[in-house]
Amino acid sequence: MQPVVQIRGLEKRFGALAALDGVDLDVRAGEIFALLGPNGAGKTTLISIVAGLLRASAGEVRVLGKDVVRDYQATRRAVGLVPQEINFDPFFTVEETLRIQAGYFGVALSEARLAEILEALDLTAKRRTNSRALSGGMKRRLLIGKALVHDPKVLFLDEPTAGVDVELRRSLWTYVRTLRERGTTIVLTTHYLEEAEELADRVGVIDGGRLLVLEETEALLRRHGQKRLRLALASAIPALPPALKAHGARLEPGGEAVVFEVSGGDAFGPILAAVADAGLAIRDLETRRTTLEDVFVQLVSAERAEDRP
Amino acid sequence: MISLGLRTLFAKEIRRFMRVPGQTLLSPLVTTTLYFLVFGYSLGGRLREVEGVPYARFIVPGLVTLGVITNAYLNAASSLFVMKIQGTIIDVLVSPLSYGEILAGFVGAAVVRGLIVGGVMWFVAGVFGGFHLAHPLLAIALVLLAAISFSALGLLTAIWAATFEQVNFFPTFFITPLTFLGGVFYSVQMLPGPLRSLTLANPIFYMVDGVRYGMLGRSDAPPWTGAALLVGLSLASLSAAYGVLRAGYKLRG
Repeated sequence: MQPVVQIRGLEKRFGALAALDGVDLDVRAGEIFALLGPNGAGKTTLISIVAGLLRASAGEVRVLGKDVVRDYQATRRAVGLVPQEINFDPFFTVEETLRIQAGYFGVALSEARLAEILEALDLTAKRRTNSRALSGGMKRRLLIGKALVHDPKVLFLDEPTAGVDVELRRSLWTYVRTLRERGTTIVLTTHYLEEAEELADRVGVIDGGRLLVLEETEALLRRHGQKRLRLALASAIPALPPALKAHGARLEPGGEAVVFEVSGGDAFGPILAAVADAGLAIRDLETRRTTLEDVFVQLVSAERAEDRP
Repeated sequence: MISLGLRTLFAKEIRRFMRVPGQTLLSPLVTTTLYFLVFGYSLGGRLREVEGVPYARFIVPGLVTLGVITNAYLNAASSLFVMKIQGTIIDVLVSPLSYGEILAGFVGAAVVRGLIVGGVMWFVAGVFGGFHLAHPLLAIALVLLAAISFSALGLLTAIWAATFEQVNFFPTFFITPLTFLGGVFYSVQMLPGPLRSLTLANPIFYMVDGVRYGMLGRSDAPPWTGAALLVGLSLASLSAAYGVLRAGYKLRG
């Protein structure tokens, strides 16, 4: 199947600064793709080039097989963008804002579609409210509504939940999944790694304008991730039984807890059996899995260490 | 056929200035009425006639031209510049509107505001000094060309400007002084040699003079000079604005 977005050798320079330095990326149809990276990594620059807000210095970007410069009208009809910064026009109400945005895309917004968007974003009660009078969270939801009025094939969400409370964040996640189920491809950038881990089928890690990693979220976590099991013992032991050493166990100072660290794909069953065989009584059990955040920090730190002279 | 996208942008721009009529329509009307009262009647009482035309009537074409070009310029400039500041310019830039449609939407709405202000000013002047249009089609065509030229210049300024001060620089230091020194309040025949030469080097003089010919049937220079100048300026400013939008200068990084 043809990728929704194809990026080849993409470069963007601002004077001497290379914001993007030869990025190759395909976004697959129907996936949720998360683009992760520290501030200034090039995430927004990349999205902006695809959406037509910026011109590339070199390289090629295609949306649904069409070039974003030569066939800009066709590609922009296929793309919806929720920008990072909240913007609103204080001259217009929520309904007027959505109708105007649809009009720019050549779409006469039907009453049914308008009601559906307002309902999905919990803005029905604010339909006739001036956008200036909306709360920050509502303004952000209105931005999402504006990006959806023309029913885009691919939706770019640039830090969609920045500054948004937990409840709204969860409801936006649910809506993003609903959009994907309807066939919309989603590309999101986020600082909340938990968000990417929760939503994304695949992640790309970008830093210094270069794409460091591009992988299925689960595979990435398996490959780089570790699982940690900490067993608090009913009574302290002076030394680690040899059978547990074979499983890579470590005794905490004081002898009150044993810690195992295994790779993401390994099971804990044999370890627990070995603990039982060694006759240790367990008071408490604690497990922790490496998060996407841990992997992200690992990858970016390793890349920066390599770049250091 | 005019696309829905262009119609939407045009209608939105019209609604924007119609929502603040005190600022966009009433304010220039009050200022112009004061010009008519102060210059037309107080000074007109002394000057009575310029080249056979009552003074209160003589100043109408210049003041209408000033109102049209200032408002056309300000509408395009302030609307686009405020969109840049608010970030709502993104809404237009990510849309499939063509460069020509974006240009037509902003310029079209700014021309409408310029023509409304100019028309109301002409009407108010008519109430005071009598309605008079010697060559109506020529007068309307020249005013329209002036509005188009200065709307496009306003758009160019807004694209380039980084501050409100830069947006206001052009009307404050170019449009208003050149219009006032461009024969709005006097005939070039009344000026001594050096000042006359200076006035004849001022492009806005030919615009005002051409509009005066259209409205009053008299002019200092051949009226086609003003017409040719306005056609040239319209084409040049529209081409420049189109080129800048197409190149993405300042708007698309």
